[in-house]
Amino acid sequence: MSLDEATHAAVAQLDAIAERLRSLGREGEAAILEAQSLMALDPMLLQGAQDEIEAGRSPGDAIRDASERAAATLEAIPDPVLAARAADIRDVGSRIARLIAGHRLALPDRPSIAICQDLPPSVTAEIPEGLLLGVALVGGSATSHAAILARSLGIPAVVGIDGLTRLLAAGQGPVAATAALDGGTGDLVIDPADDEIDWWAERSAQAESSPRPIKTGPVATLDGRPIAILANIGRPEEARAALDAGADGVGLFRSEFLFLGRLRPPTEDEQVVAYRDVLERFGRHRPVVIRLADIGGDKDVPYLGLPAEDNPFLGVRAVRLAVDSPDLLVVQVRAIMRAATAAGVTANIMAPMVATLEDVDLLEAIVGQARRELPAGADARLRLGVMIEVPSAVLLIRELAARVAFVSIGTNDLTQYLFAADRTNARLARYQQATHPAVLRAIAAVVDGAHGSGIQVAVCGELAGDPAGARLLAGLGVDELSMGYRSIGPVAEALSTVTMGELATAARAALDEPC
Amino acid sequence: VAATARLIIRNPSGLHARPAALFVRTAAGFAAEITVRNLTRAGAAADAKSIIGVLGLGVGSGNLIEVSANGPDAERAIDAIVELVDGGIGEAAEAG
Repeated sequence: MSLDEATHAAVAQLDAIAERLRSLGREGEAAILEAQSLMALDPMLLQGAQDEIEAGRSPGDAIRDASERAAATLEAIPDPVLAARAADIRDVGSRIARLIAGHRLALPDRPSIAICQDLPPSVTAEIPEGLLLGVALVGGSATSHAAILARSLGIPAVVGIDGLTRLLAAGQGPVAATAALDGGTGDLVIDPADDEIDWWAERSAQAESSPRPIKTGPVATLDGRPIAILANIGRPEEARAALDAGADGVGLFRSEFLFLGRLRPPTEDEQVVAYRDVLERFGRHRPVVIRLADIGGDKDVPYLGLPAEDNPFLGVRAVRLAVDSPDLLVVQVRAIMRAATAAGVTANIMAPMVATLEDVDLLEAIVGQARRELPAGADARLRLGVMIEVPSAVLLIRELAARVAFVSIGTNDLTQYLFAADRTNARLARYQQATHPAVLRAIAAVVDGAHGSGIQVAVCGELAGDPAGARLLAGLGVDELSMGYRSIGPVAEALSTVTMGELATAARAALDEPC
Repeated sequence: VAATARLIIRNPSGLHARPAALFVRTAAGFAAEITVRNLTRAGAAADAKSIIGVLGLGVGSGNLIEVSANGPDAERAIDAIVELVDGGIGEAAEAG
């Protein structure tokens, strides 16, 4: 096929796929395929390919090169949405090249697990309904198109499997008669032995037959003590899953996704859009706590021009950045307040890494400046809270609680700082014990100090998302637990099947456990 | 005939996904040569009939763009694009 014939054939295919997706109600994917159809006829892309053909290259190589160059240009713009469009351009280029060469993709004809480098959007959409049982990718990330699609279809997806490269070098087509994939653990087994198959079948049947507990309303212990169960989210896209899981709000909305992996800081308007979307979804009765950017330290942020640090976990990060670059946080606070005003809700702002009362002074100065610079009418009601994750903050809890509206304990960092053991160092893993009496006593002290000032205590570390950990925390008097949305159902069940008396007794025993 | 217009893009995600496609389809319906620049980010002009070119402008929400048309139906082309952008580029409910 010539380049011209192939582009028109590609447009016809893409339009047909878009049409089918639309008839299935998959509107969002249909729009992506329609954009791809427009890309296949793009004058810039085709001119680039034509120039290369005239210079002596084969049409297939020419279109691949031209689409690769166009994709690379888009990727140079620091914007995650455009990165997804770059994948679309490559997808289109490959489709046209396949048509030129007369290649057909080996799509599954029976229920299959797709094992590949990456699964491009248009190819995924071509696989007939019901034949895609799982996705295992060498490349990709948890936010890649294929992973998101797999989640929306409710099938397991595992990304970033290095060991698959050799398997894929063999070319396309079926690589094995049988394979097993566990989306929870990330295990993939190719050609399992017979006894292994039995084991996997049993495991799969078990997972399907034991329904996951679901949170349907407010959660309280058997004797009526209410405990709020909220979600931790790291991107606006997760808001919906959190709501579906029954979250009473968001206890931790990490804002780093706006600040990392780009060459320039996000604009205020860009931030307003991202926050407002989540605040509106949760509405007036489900509070959303937005954490100020916890960047710097070990996270590379080119536009801040920070020097490398010997000890990044103890370095210039989070609120500590505000001493030298206050604008970053002033803009963020302003964006949160504007978003809250637009959504008609209270702005809940939480600062990470607070270690002293001077840090609170600094935060108040930032909030004050942000407020003064707000456009008229955007002055939202604001509650300022702090993370308790540095040991000094535990010891200063009475003074801190008198100054802020709420506190939230980050058990992962608190544990690392209490034991002075880097939690990314595998050889120090034995110190990462969030249920150690040292950590539990720190949590109990925070609850005591905060309740003394009449403010509530939340926990947003991993301990809160573990049913046994959640019971311990509730027993210590913690008011709110915030966790990954998948943990919400199991934790709700664990807390609503016991009395507060039982929880408190168990927590007291854990505080004094021989250590 | 030449015509030009400056417009603020108010779509929540800018000229990125579907709005970019509608923008390009509208421009492609005219014989005039149409170019578009992102005045907020500065940089080269792109062919308004190229989806890749328009995406490459990185037009975010609140950015100011300049559309220029040259050709027999230049004025009609600019009118159509102004109308499209004013109407929220298919996202009327969310724009503004």
